[in-house]
Amino acid sequence: MKKILAILAIVLFAGTAMAQDNLDFERKQAIDSLALEKVRDLSKYIKIVGSKETAWSEANRVIDRAEELFMINAEIGVSSINSTNIKYYKVRPYFEHLMRLNYDRVEIEWYNIEYVSDLQRQPDGTYVGVITIFQTFRGYDKEGNLAYKDTTKKDITVYVKRKETQIGGRMIGFWDVLLGDMRVKETANK
Amino acid sequence: MKNKITTIVLVLLATFITLGGTTSCKSKKRLAKEAAEAEYKAKVAEAVRDLTAILDDETPWTLEEKIHRVQTIKDWNLQNAEVDDLLFQVEKKLARERAQAEQEAEEARRIQEAQLQAQQPRNVLETNFSRIASASNTTQANSIINETLKLFASNNVPVLIIISQAGGFNDYDRPTTIENYLNYVKDQKVSRNKVNELKFNDDGKITEVELIKK
Repeated sequence: MKKILAILAIVLFAGTAMAQDNLDFERKQAIDSLALEKVRDLSKYIKIVGSKETAWSEANRVIDRAEELFMINAEIGVSSINSTNIKYYKVRPYFEHLMRLNYDRVEIEWYNIEYVSDLQRQPDGTYVGVITIFQTFRGYDKEGNLAYKDTTKKDITVYVKRKETQIGGRMIGFWDVLLGDMRVKETANK
Repeated sequence: MKNKITTIVLVLLATFITLGGTTSCKSKKRLAKEAAEAEYKAKVAEAVRDLTAILDDETPWTLEEKIHRVQTIKDWNLQNAEVDDLLFQVEKKLARERAQAEQEAEEARRIQEAQLQAQQPRNVLETNFSRIASASNTTQANSIINETLKLFASNNVPVLIIISQAGGFNDYDRPTTIENYLNYVKDQKVSRNKVNELKFNDDGKITEVELIKK
């Protein structure tokens, strides 16, 4: 009898766990949106850190938050219309480079943020997809003249995995969205 | 002769009146006694009927109406064994009901108080999320953040964000802290979530926040 109850408990537990990991359309949509939201959050962080009006302490706090969006060792590509080389930075060095840009004023806008490859479930349970973004960069000199501009298309790999953590003495299951490498696909003078 | 006849008639008349009056008085007393007995029996029957109905929960009366009815029956002072036994049982039952009603009223009052207590910080919190998001500059936003943090047991109070409740599960975003969440609202300049649940410590400070997508 005890064996039957134990088997039943295991089956029920496994059933619940599977139900939580197997996503129906609505739940899949929710994590699709969550991943897009993280990329939009990143675009705001880039804008804040890039702005010359942002205080150093605020910029550093924002860089901390931005770093949390990425996987360890993720790289961000930086291109220029003046060079064919694409330079790849780790996340914090990328933001520090952004803070040090030699312009009096910088405008950065991201648009057309969308999936080019939908989130697909991998054998280890991680959902992986690719989101593309377009970035316009404008750098102005002291006189307020436009000194540099470009538009770059970048692909960001996103990883979504279900994890658990203990909060208030109970286990909370959550979807952890992490951004991977941000690869430059095209750079244009426009 | 005439006088004798008159005397006899008077004596007979007096006798009739005396005898007739006595008989009538006895009849009235009997009738009154019978009426009192009938009234007593009717009251006993009424008392038994009502008390039994109260015992069997077959009345539409409120607790206060039942208590009032029992008091009326007690005031009749019927001195009837059956009624006294029923009164004893009913009074015990009503005492239990009153205790339960008081307990329920206390519980309802406690729940209402807790809801009011939770409602106030909830409103303040949601208002402040909007104020932070629409702050005209960082200094103003930071000032509202510091004001908001006073509602919390610490700056590290966990914040859970429900992204979906489909399929009967709460799907959460990665948990954060209240300080980071308030700064997030400031950075993103938008308040995307509303308060779903708050937990408090004994000092009335918030110890856990659950938000949900608007």
